[in-house]
Amino acid sequence: MSQTLRPYLTAVRFSLNAALCVENFSSQIVERHNYPEVENKKTKEILLNPLVISRNENEHVLIEPSINSVRISIKIKQSDEIEHILVDKFTRFLTKRAENFLILRRAPIKGYDISFLLTNYHNEIMMKHKLVDFIIEFMEDVDKEISEMKLFLNSRARFVAEAYLSVFD
Amino acid sequence: MLQLDAKNLLVEDAFLEAFDTDYVPATLDRIITDFDFTTYHISTPESKEKLLFSINIKCWNDLVKYGVFQILKDKYDELIILTEPEAGWNFSLYVDLTQFKLANNENKKELASRLSLLKSHCFSAPFYKAFNRHDILAAEGPVDPNNIYGEDISTVTEEVFVLNYRDSEVIYIKPSNDRVTVIFSTVFRDETDKVFSKVFLQEFSDARKRSIQTAPQVINSHREPPLEIRNLTSNPFNETTGEEKTYITFVLFPRHFSSVDVRWNTIQHIQLFRSYFHYHIKIVKCFLHQRMRYRVSEFMKVLNRARQDSIDEEKERKTVSGRRFELRS
Repeated sequence: MSQTLRPYLTAVRFSLNAALCVENFSSQIVERHNYPEVENKKTKEILLNPLVISRNENEHVLIEPSINSVRISIKIKQSDEIEHILVDKFTRFLTKRAENFLILRRAPIKGYDISFLLTNYHNEIMMKHKLVDFIIEFMEDVDKEISEMKLFLNSRARFVAEAYLSVFD
Repeated sequence: MLQLDAKNLLVEDAFLEAFDTDYVPATLDRIITDFDFTTYHISTPESKEKLLFSINIKCWNDLVKYGVFQILKDKYDELIILTEPEAGWNFSLYVDLTQFKLANNENKKELASRLSLLKSHCFSAPFYKAFNRHDILAAEGPVDPNNIYGEDISTVTEEVFVLNYRDSEVIYIKPSNDRVTVIFSTVFRDETDKVFSKVFLQEFSDARKRSIQTAPQVINSHREPPLEIRNLTSNPFNETTGEEKTYITFVLFPRHFSSVDVRWNTIQHIQLFRSYFHYHIKIVKCFLHQRMRYRVSEFMKVLNRARQDSIDEEKERKTVSGRRFELRS
């Protein structure tokens, strides 16, 4: 793991741990409603300060805590056109399966590639430290996967080109 | 399936079946498709023993210009070629089954495979013409050994053979005294395909430098047409459709058309380039999709690990009186 990745992930882990201090909270505006306040943003006093943790200008995480929900948005590294396409494809693939993914938000926040929404409900059915583990593991693996896919694309292209050209003689 | 086969499997099968000794003649009316908007039609209009085999090619008029008839006549001389092809088709020939009743298996196989290569034979016409033209040019002006940079010294007036084989996609063939240049122009409708194509083309260009020295040189250019055909393509950017063309140049050296067999191999292979190229871009997307599917299932596993264990426990419980009830998660 590179020098900068470790502190970056540690910072995210600690901030998430602190932010995931959520409790059940019914809406103060509409009776008998209960929704993630961070999405609604109508009751100002229960929203906490959003927090951006960035590794560099291309990679950062936005954590928006509130009384009963936390929204985490991740910007994945995209250094060139191919990585951009791969990230786009991959996040689209994930968000299409948001149904099974419980904590995944169907659409990312503007300016980010993928967003998670953790509510008090998720905190109740899942263990908090494992949830944090998941986010951290996701961030690690996504980078790895994107670069592996890129390498795969290159090696496949080389293989295909050589297979075609070797027939000529 | 890494390489695409030049023959059309369905056509070959249809004829092998028909040539079979225990074939019961039946009424046929089949339409078979191939790459580049080519279609074949196998039918029995007169009698069940006479198969009419027709082909329709998008750029037939171009092929006629480059002497496709002569080539087809040579290739299919024992069959009856119709002077007036079937209505709606470019070229038709009759295969009389009674004529092949006695032929041995080898001949039958050979004929079926030759018939299945009809498209390749049609497309070979301009290539043969270019190779022959090269022979003449090479005899007239031998290669200058002092021309160490291998510059193309032939005049601009040399005719470039043009094949409009698809809508807005063209093959250009230019003979010269020391090489034959084949240029493909292709269009990508999909943005992703366009980016992937750049990776592929880069590898095509590099492959020769790296390992396969005998292969033709591949040069690619995006939007900018190569010098050979600059006077033919007035507008590289098609404003009406917003399509950008990619040009891929293959430089065939004399070694690639030194003998009849090598010539045929080269022709057969190079005409499938576009299909091969596009096909492999689709394949690589498919592979990436598989990887993503796997990766997503891995993430699911990690997430499920976070769930509290109580959910996994047995849900059914009993009260003291023996009534059952279920816990809702």
